[in-house]
Amino acid sequence: MISQLDRDLAELQQAAAAYTARHQFIHDFSYPPGIRIAVNFTLDFDSMLLRRLLNEPPMQLAKGEFGGRVGIWRLIELFDVHHVKATIFTPGRACELYPQALRAAVRSGHEIADHMWEHRVPKEAALEEDHLAKTVAALEQISGKRPVGTRSGHSAALLRKYGYIYRSEGSADQRPHYFVDEEGENCLVHLPFHYVIDDAMFFSFAWLGSENTAQRITDPERVFDIWWAAFRQQYREGGYLNICMHPFVSGRALRVAMLDRLISQMKSLPGVWFPSCEEVARLCLEKFPPRAQAA
Amino acid sequence: MPWKERYTISDEKSLTDDEIRWPQGARCCVGITVDLSVADGPDGIGAADLTTPEAEFGTNQGFSALLTVLKRYDLKATFAVPAVLAPIYADRIRASVAEGHEIAANGFKHEDVSAFQREEERARITRATEILAEVTCGRPVGWFSLPRQGDPFAGGTISSNTMDLLIEAGYLYMGNGLADDVPHYWVTDFASRRAILTLPYYYHFDDQFFLMFPRKGTGLEHPDALFRNWKAEFDAQYKRGRHFHMTLHPRHIGWCNRLQLLNDFLAYLRGFPDLWTPTGEECARYWLETYPASAYLRLEPSIWHDYPGSLS
Repeated sequence: MISQLDRDLAELQQAAAAYTARHQFIHDFSYPPGIRIAVNFTLDFDSMLLRRLLNEPPMQLAKGEFGGRVGIWRLIELFDVHHVKATIFTPGRACELYPQALRAAVRSGHEIADHMWEHRVPKEAALEEDHLAKTVAALEQISGKRPVGTRSGHSAALLRKYGYIYRSEGSADQRPHYFVDEEGENCLVHLPFHYVIDDAMFFSFAWLGSENTAQRITDPERVFDIWWAAFRQQYREGGYLNICMHPFVSGRALRVAMLDRLISQMKSLPGVWFPSCEEVARLCLEKFPPRAQAA
Repeated sequence: MPWKERYTISDEKSLTDDEIRWPQGARCCVGITVDLSVADGPDGIGAADLTTPEAEFGTNQGFSALLTVLKRYDLKATFAVPAVLAPIYADRIRASVAEGHEIAANGFKHEDVSAFQREEERARITRATEILAEVTCGRPVGWFSLPRQGDPFAGGTISSNTMDLLIEAGYLYMGNGLADDVPHYWVTDFASRRAILTLPYYYHFDDQFFLMFPRKGTGLEHPDALFRNWKAEFDAQYKRGRHFHMTLHPRHIGWCNRLQLLNDFLAYLRGFPDLWTPTGEECARYWLETYPASAYLRLEPSIWHDYPGSLS
């Protein structure tokens, strides 16, 4: 009996220690002089791809289509007015659906990064690589350069093989950090985002299969207050904020107006930097390189 | 080569703000849909839905109260009516027509048609059209498939045949679509550009998702969030010169403080000059004439490919 309890204890200790060991946190993380915080505006440009993948009905697809026909254009315009460099996590297939919008984003200097081929990571290794390679080719064709970042669950080994340097997912630390795979290899910069700074959590009906009783439908003012409070706290800490948005959600007129107000209020403080994710990842690799393995 | 079939229903990019003009130099278009349905789920209206205190309120006091508020602000709305209700409330339907409101269809009994065979759905559209034509002495030109509180998604349920059948049945417009926030064309056949004009709808401006949602007694009441959404969207659309739209249910919005909320919002709207407040039909006719599909539906040649290992 006792020995079983001890085995449980050892197993849990080992699991926790192994997981923690895969992280390298940047304890002395700081920005170049004059900068107090980096704010990454990141767009997950699913439009209707995820809706289609989940076999959702026609009106759900139309809801997603708003992101490609209307939302993405408005957000690009908003970022350009404010001199914000955004990162657009783009499914490879979006290049066939909305090439005009993506080219406009590239012209404005926004970063085009990976968001899977058709918003899924196949379980079969060969097909996963096929999807990743197709996405790299599609994004390179549209943007003129190979993507270096992803928001996906693609394997780190595959991502490193194709030249990726960062992944924007998870919230293991509020600041950028490093994460290696289970073999302790294939280190990637992780740019954290949290579901509480994700527009779909507040505005998208039936998001992630949620039931009607679980809908958190709300209004832009309330979300403004939550996001502003998050920004203020990180600003004081000299930290980092990654705001995850979907063009079919945040591209609605009432929310573009809210974002306009949010960015203006952020800009009223000194030292707020609005770079692409790639810029933040390169800053990390250059100033705070990971210990073991060159990324 | 396949088009972007089963992915997109319209062109790659909406009209920009600069391209949009409204009659008589109006700055912004405001559309109001009043949904008379009392259906709760996919089966549509049953006897049990009609024999509740809420249904009684919605078709009597709530209905009258809503009409009074609309009249106070000289607003004409489009009433989305499940055809089965038209004979039951014929006097009230005719009274609304007399006041200048439009009567459009909201299904035969506001049922979910997505699993029906084409023939079955066609028969329902035909019968619904006949019933409404009989009651209003003129056939409806607008069709709605509005969402219900109990639906798993908040966009309204249609089948893959619905839009084509509406064109076939001679409908001028579809009343609720989510791919744009101005009227737009829903394409049913890309080769021939067969399409139906679709008016914008969004559930964040629909009272039923904020007032005792998802159902009476166990739902949450967020009239403040509804008001802020209406106001934020209207302010933004007025600035852009586009289109603002709201959906109301007499049984929800007609009740005391909520009715006051609507009154306050319409009073707020009245403070803005240069609003155009057409019915759905007036808006659709204007749009079809000013922005005909032949010139404004900008379908790009498809670069969509089928790949092994990918969805087609």
